[in-house]
Amino acid sequence: MASRENPTQQREGVGQWALAWRRFKKNPAAIAGLIIVGFFAFLAAFDRLVAPYPPNCVPTPFNPFCTGQYSPLQPPSLAHPFGTDSNSYDVYSQVIYGCRAAFYIGFGATAVAMIVSVLIGLAAGYFGGNTDNLLMRLTEVFLVLPFFLILLLFLKVLYYFSNTGAGGLEIEILIIGLFSWPGNARILRSEVLRVRGLEFIEASRQIGASANRILFRHILPNVLHVLIVLTTLQIAASVLIEAGVSFLGFGDQTVATWGLEFYYGFNYISDAWWVETFPGIFLTLLVMGFNLLGNGLRDALDPRLRE
Amino acid sequence: MSMTKYLIRRALYLVPVFFGITFLVFSIERLAGDPVKLLTAGQTRVTEEQRQLLRQYFGLDKPVYQQYLLWLSELFTGNLGYAYTTGGGAPVSTLIGQRAVATLELQLLGLAFSLLIAIPIGVMSAKRRYSKLDLAVTNTSLVGTSIPIFFLGIMAILVLSAKTGGLFPYGGLESISPNQYPYGSAILDQLWHLVLPTSVYTFAILAPVVLLVRSSMLEVLRQDFILAARASGLKESTVIYKHGLRNALLPLLTYVGLYFGGLLTGAPITETVFNWPGVGRLFVQAINNLDFPVIQGVVVVITLMTLVANVITDIAYAYIDPRIRLE
Repeated sequence: MASRENPTQQREGVGQWALAWRRFKKNPAAIAGLIIVGFFAFLAAFDRLVAPYPPNCVPTPFNPFCTGQYSPLQPPSLAHPFGTDSNSYDVYSQVIYGCRAAFYIGFGATAVAMIVSVLIGLAAGYFGGNTDNLLMRLTEVFLVLPFFLILLLFLKVLYYFSNTGAGGLEIEILIIGLFSWPGNARILRSEVLRVRGLEFIEASRQIGASANRILFRHILPNVLHVLIVLTTLQIAASVLIEAGVSFLGFGDQTVATWGLEFYYGFNYISDAWWVETFPGIFLTLLVMGFNLLGNGLRDALDPRLRE
Repeated sequence: MSMTKYLIRRALYLVPVFFGITFLVFSIERLAGDPVKLLTAGQTRVTEEQRQLLRQYFGLDKPVYQQYLLWLSELFTGNLGYAYTTGGGAPVSTLIGQRAVATLELQLLGLAFSLLIAIPIGVMSAKRRYSKLDLAVTNTSLVGTSIPIFFLGIMAILVLSAKTGGLFPYGGLESISPNQYPYGSAILDQLWHLVLPTSVYTFAILAPVVLLVRSSMLEVLRQDFILAARASGLKESTVIYKHGLRNALLPLLTYVGLYFGGLLTGAPITETVFNWPGVGRLFVQAINNLDFPVIQGVVVVITLMTLVANVITDIAYAYIDPRIRLE
């Protein structure tokens, strides 16, 4: 070290991610989002310890796992902090299990949507020409489709083949994912176009790197920040769509979800305010958490985008 | 500008889209079950022959592609077919026409109010960027985009109708009988029924519009021509509203265009909450009753509306902003 002329210059290098984390930490809204999402992740992970009753539990004298009285539409009490719904399910337990379902839906549908949008965005942006043209026309077609109506129709078909409705959640996740990529693919494509024009891409092409290598080793890491933000916001959107589907009664009724509680409670609005109110608060909070997190990540990862 | 060329190119790829989506819906719905079985379920005196006759009557005995071609040829003569059960087997076009009025009433009022409220708020927020007002607006909008409309609607019903002894009605277009008219006239009764759904709908779509106006305004205020306008000594309000806002409203046009396209799609949830007899509920009921002609009719109308709205938006864009050319 003595050979260096100016030892004060020897600072530890700070990476892009560390810089982003510094910016993220300074943003209270982003931290709030992280805390909310973290809290819900905790509930989802330990739902069996937090919830007093099993999911979809109708108390009967002979059920060792679900004790108590059959007592539908009871107001909040010590035994049932959020009351009970028309099936005599404990709303508090249903809401807690709903966290796991929400994460499953959010991450599942978003994973499907993001895989498709990355592949299409990369291919369209990098290869350009006819490939780009074709893929962008396809994107426009998907934007025109009345996706929500098609989703309801698909679920109706599913229930014809499975009268318990089991498996509906996975179908929902798949369809929400398969219809949620167009907007994201467009944004990713424009980012890929930007990166493709940079000199280091030209340089790696000149030394003979394959298209695969350029796409996944050079371009993808440089659009990763956009991908992360889009992913977070897509999770929020997917959770909202699924809740809407369940509210209409087209959800998977074997899985405890927040939207399903709305479906159960909707016919008893004037008798039992608690059945919709608590799941609604949880739903809004989680969606808000992901939205705050997404906006915070955007500000931290790409300060140029800051509005 | 080659408007004709643009329209031809559009049509060239929109026509296959139209056929694709209608055929998709046509074949999927037929997997959802047998409407005749559903119709005659639990009726022990209906024989299998009678069921078969009913299938023949509905045209369900033919292969799917034949049914599709038949339906398509009727479509081109402007006939959307007849419902199996909905409205006692009424023509689908009549059914959709009746319901569309209710849907449009709610959604257009909601759009108009939300634009009226959102534009001034967005402009003020952009003008005083990072001020307390701006922070309040952006944070409230974020909460607004996170609340699902059915939760907002149910809370509104809980607080403003059920719990307070019927300040506003639960839902529906109008009172069942004239004796229940609160202010004596049918028009006031309908307006009274509109208050809750319209306000909830307005607030539900308000937040994205506010954020859009704000960010678009910020983008415009950064431009050189705003600097030039200020430098030439114009009043600040002239700069903001005459030079700034007019340019900032362009992205809003896309939003309104998309909104018109999706006008009927987002309807099922809102209309269920307020028991609103619109196209969205018609569609949900048709799925539940396996009323195929109605399902197809709604999908056709919505797809056509979306396609037409897209084309109109593109044309309007090119007309308003000379920098954009139709290709």
